[in-house]
Amino acid sequence: MSNAIELRDVTRKFGRVSAADSMDFHVPAGSITGLLGRNGAGKTTAMAMISGQDRPSSGSVEVLGGNPFENSEILRNITFVRDNQRYPDGYKLHHVLRIAPDFAPNWSTEVAEELVERLHIPSRVQITKFSRGQVSSVAIVLGLASRAAVTLLDEPYLGLDVTARATFHEMLLRDFAEHPRTVLLSTHLIEESERMLDRVVIVDRGRTVVECDAEEARKLAFTVSGVPDAVDGFSAGYRVLRSQGVGGLKSVTVSGTLDGSAGEKAARHNVRLAPVSLQDLVAAHGEAETTEQSMGAMS
Amino acid sequence: MNPIIAAAKLHLNKREFTILVPLYCTALAAVLSALISFLFLRAGSVPGSDAWVDSSRANPAMLWALAGYLGYLGVQSVATTFPFALTLGATRKSFTAGTLLWMLLMSAYLTAVMAVLAFIEVKTDHWFSGFYIFDVNLLGAGDLGRLIPTVFLATLTLLSAGGVFAAAWVRYGSLGPAVLASAIGIVLIIAAIILVPSAAEIFAGFRQWWLAVAAVAVIAMSLVGTWLHLRPAIVR
Repeated sequence: MSNAIELRDVTRKFGRVSAADSMDFHVPAGSITGLLGRNGAGKTTAMAMISGQDRPSSGSVEVLGGNPFENSEILRNITFVRDNQRYPDGYKLHHVLRIAPDFAPNWSTEVAEELVERLHIPSRVQITKFSRGQVSSVAIVLGLASRAAVTLLDEPYLGLDVTARATFHEMLLRDFAEHPRTVLLSTHLIEESERMLDRVVIVDRGRTVVECDAEEARKLAFTVSGVPDAVDGFSAGYRVLRSQGVGGLKSVTVSGTLDGSAGEKAARHNVRLAPVSLQDLVAAHGEAETTEQSMGAMS
Repeated sequence: MNPIIAAAKLHLNKREFTILVPLYCTALAAVLSALISFLFLRAGSVPGSDAWVDSSRANPAMLWALAGYLGYLGVQSVATTFPFALTLGATRKSFTAGTLLWMLLMSAYLTAVMAVLAFIEVKTDHWFSGFYIFDVNLLGAGDLGRLIPTVFLATLTLLSAGGVFAAAWVRYGSLGPAVLASAIGIVLIIAAIILVPSAAEIFAGFRQWWLAVAAVAVIAMSLVGTWLHLRPAIVR
């Protein structure tokens, strides 16, 4: 499978702050990939560079085989609506629906109309007066109805109620099946969206920390729980991503495969092992550096 | 669709803002001008007299009515439309070219509106009542040969000047327009310092085409400035 998106050693600095720091990942064509990580991890910055709205300070970004920055042939095949998207003064829904097809060659009026109806997007109110969920709904209409070869969805769930989120999932999967494309989706609602994901890219502090198939990602770490000394004894030799203590018990998330040898070692140390969910894995990587620093300070 | 045409259509997408509101402003200024003329009529002025014509033609209502709105249109054409244009997949180059095309269309549209209204006003002997609204000195005193370049260049100047200030804001945040305004102010003061000893000669030799040249220079500098600001601009 060829790659629709490739970031190679991408760094993006804003003054002294690096929003992306040697970021590397690729997104295979025709996949739905989750771009996951904490706030400020670099997800939106990466999407902005992929969509040509920004460009890297160093490194290279390639989309559909070329550099997207100021490349109209590539940009007409990308859709990216920010979570804090700004609309022109006085814009209402009909303004968006009227102009979007002029920029999106594969625009589907049917998809747009169905989404507008099912997401209950108001037509007579200015977008600047929309609720958070209604703004997200407009972004979903733009993202899905454009049927762009590369569809970037930045926190599409923000403010959406449970019915609207279910509608989004259903419409995305249905239209994706009929019109395959490459989808890169950033979200914090990982449990709700993980069943859609073929692949995951986890970023933290501007760096790529995990990049693999979604199924494989869940095998990259596991949790160890028990009395603190036993847990510490077991985890020696593993990279501890996250550590939590409750009463006299301790639970850590370690990087590694939950295989037979780990099971034997757990039996010797009298600790319990459990697989991690994708959400736990993302949360653990978000705390990894802090955990390592505190453990380093203790030792 | 051609990306430049698509960018121009993006501006024209707000039909009321671009097409109707300038007409509302014009109509409001016309109504106010007519009411003021009626006031003078009731106060004893004689329509058609030399004093009536001179004072009526000095009416600057159209300038006050439209200048602010056109400046705002120029600002919003970049400040809030540029981020959305990038979202839709426009390049900075096509957005800038499409914005210029829209500015030219707007200038031609307003010029046509003013020309038609001035023509009707002259042909109806000033609305059959001696009221001067479009046949004023500012708009060429009934001479379409002067009205057309005046309205076209003035509209384009206001739109493009608004655009360059907005582009400075997009590029540098609130500091951008402040620095740009300060720089323009300093240049104008230095120019005044240099030219003031010859002010009497300059005024004596003043020709109206100098204003046209100045407008073309402002338009050109504004458009180049807009492009230079937007070319590296990012949206966050």
